[in-house]
Amino acid sequence: MLVAPSILFLIVILIVPLIYTVYNSFFDLRFLQMGDFLGFKNYAAVFRNREIWHSLGLTIIVTFAGLAISIVVGMLMAVWIHSCQGLTAYFLQIIVLIPWVISMVVGALLWKWLFNTMGPINYLLNAWGYGNVDILANPRLAPCALIFVMAWRTVGFAMVLILAGLKSVPKDLEEAAEVDGANRWNVFWRVRLPLLKTPVMIASVILLLSNFNNVDVPMVLTGGGPGNATNVITMELYRQGFVYYDFGIASALSFITLLINVVLIVLYMKVVKYDV
Amino acid sequence: MSRDGARSVLRHFGTIAGFAALIVFNLAPIVWSVRTSLMAPSDIFAYPPKWLDFAITLEHYERIVKSGYFQTFRNSIAYSLAAIAIGLIVGLLAAYGFDRFRFLGKKAMFFLVVFCIPLSMGSSALIIPNYLYFSKLGLLDGWFTLPLLYTAYNLPMAIWIIKSGVEAIPVEIDEAAKIDGCSRFRFIFGIVAVLSRPVLAAAALFIFLGSWNEFILSSIMINKPDLRPVQLAIYQYLGFFGQEWGPLTAAASVAIVPSIVIFTFLGRMLISGLTAGSVKS
Repeated sequence: MLVAPSILFLIVILIVPLIYTVYNSFFDLRFLQMGDFLGFKNYAAVFRNREIWHSLGLTIIVTFAGLAISIVVGMLMAVWIHSCQGLTAYFLQIIVLIPWVISMVVGALLWKWLFNTMGPINYLLNAWGYGNVDILANPRLAPCALIFVMAWRTVGFAMVLILAGLKSVPKDLEEAAEVDGANRWNVFWRVRLPLLKTPVMIASVILLLSNFNNVDVPMVLTGGGPGNATNVITMELYRQGFVYYDFGIASALSFITLLINVVLIVLYMKVVKYDV
Repeated sequence: MSRDGARSVLRHFGTIAGFAALIVFNLAPIVWSVRTSLMAPSDIFAYPPKWLDFAITLEHYERIVKSGYFQTFRNSIAYSLAAIAIGLIVGLLAAYGFDRFRFLGKKAMFFLVVFCIPLSMGSSALIIPNYLYFSKLGLLDGWFTLPLLYTAYNLPMAIWIIKSGVEAIPVEIDEAAKIDGCSRFRFIFGIVAVLSRPVLAAAALFIFLGSWNEFILSSIMINKPDLRPVQLAIYQYLGFFGQEWGPLTAAASVAIVPSIVIFTFLGRMLISGLTAGSVKS
């Protein structure tokens, strides 16, 4: 059967590990030593852990804030590029997409360097008469920086999907509205925007998934710090596993994370109408 | 001022603001990093900053080369190529199978593929599972570890992209080939593959970006210095060089070259792949 190799790949490398993790989450698995059967004790420990709740709350804020910025800026960029022609439009798209094409490690590293106290941002602050700000060491500014970098790398993605949506709005629909006396503003709100619902929905779901699961950016940019100011859920997962070596708790938390992801995955499958 | 005049002022203002934003946010960070990588350590932290009047030096590049950076480059290229090769072969078979045949469990299997697209994006939930599973099977830290993972993570999207191309090939061609006595595999890898070159290229591009840019899996699965991919090397430099931004920006600047070059030439393909419905971000 032609599809067998692919299906085998997905089952063996993506699905079976998930099932294995559910099994692991019921055991004491500190330092990778298979210990006693604990029942739901790992889950209870996860739910009792205040740090994890804090982390989850922070993740939700970061995820949605990043999404909002990406969609709004992506929409503006798409409308702008839509009004440009030919090669200009193409190169603008390329430039907007650059942050999405380079790796998150490099992207976060670039900004880490720009945010540095000796970097250009602080130089400008000084030039305008403000004092030095160590953005990534400030517990209030660091989450903002994290949101900013996450949004920065996904604006292009939102733009591309929205732009494709704009292109698919039939010209005669817009012209008809104009003939009927609608001004540009009305054409945008009443004709274009409703037709952009699907691309915006698809972009939103994918970006929610991407932001929620982003581990590269926080890892490089702030490492979860200062303190726990940017300790998003993925960082907490990483810590439980590879810092505290408590793989029982980490497995339970992974499974909970998976359930949150499944909600988004179901949304994804609803908006992307697939069929065979 | 007339209404049209006001509108045109507004439009010009919007254009200028748009260009300014792109230059400041999308190009300047890269330029700044490349600039830093070419400066002597004493110039990097000079105050006020030396914007242009600094002597160019390649010492940071020499340092990263000496620390084995090109080995990691070679590794990443090998991992990406392996993932692309397996992904395209296996993905083309699956795309063709899903498009042309009816078989038991087809719906469920395709459901699995589509389910795995966002699942592999939401990879944080898979980090611990993949680690525990690979460690149990003794598959950690091998030359095959990352190619296996990269193939599996990017395969669902590749199937989805390739399928959109295979759908466009008329069934009459299948029948003609069958009558001419062409075997199924020769038909798929000869005729179908040639006819769906654009989607194969788009899929290859996605697998490449996914593999080349991947970091977190390699950081937990790979310990041997000889097997490190590029992104992991950069992350480790962050600990190793600390506040030495010269070698760090040198490594970062080199790492983005392949992505930027390929993307500039094949950007149109990537954009069309992106809008094929749904994609990794």
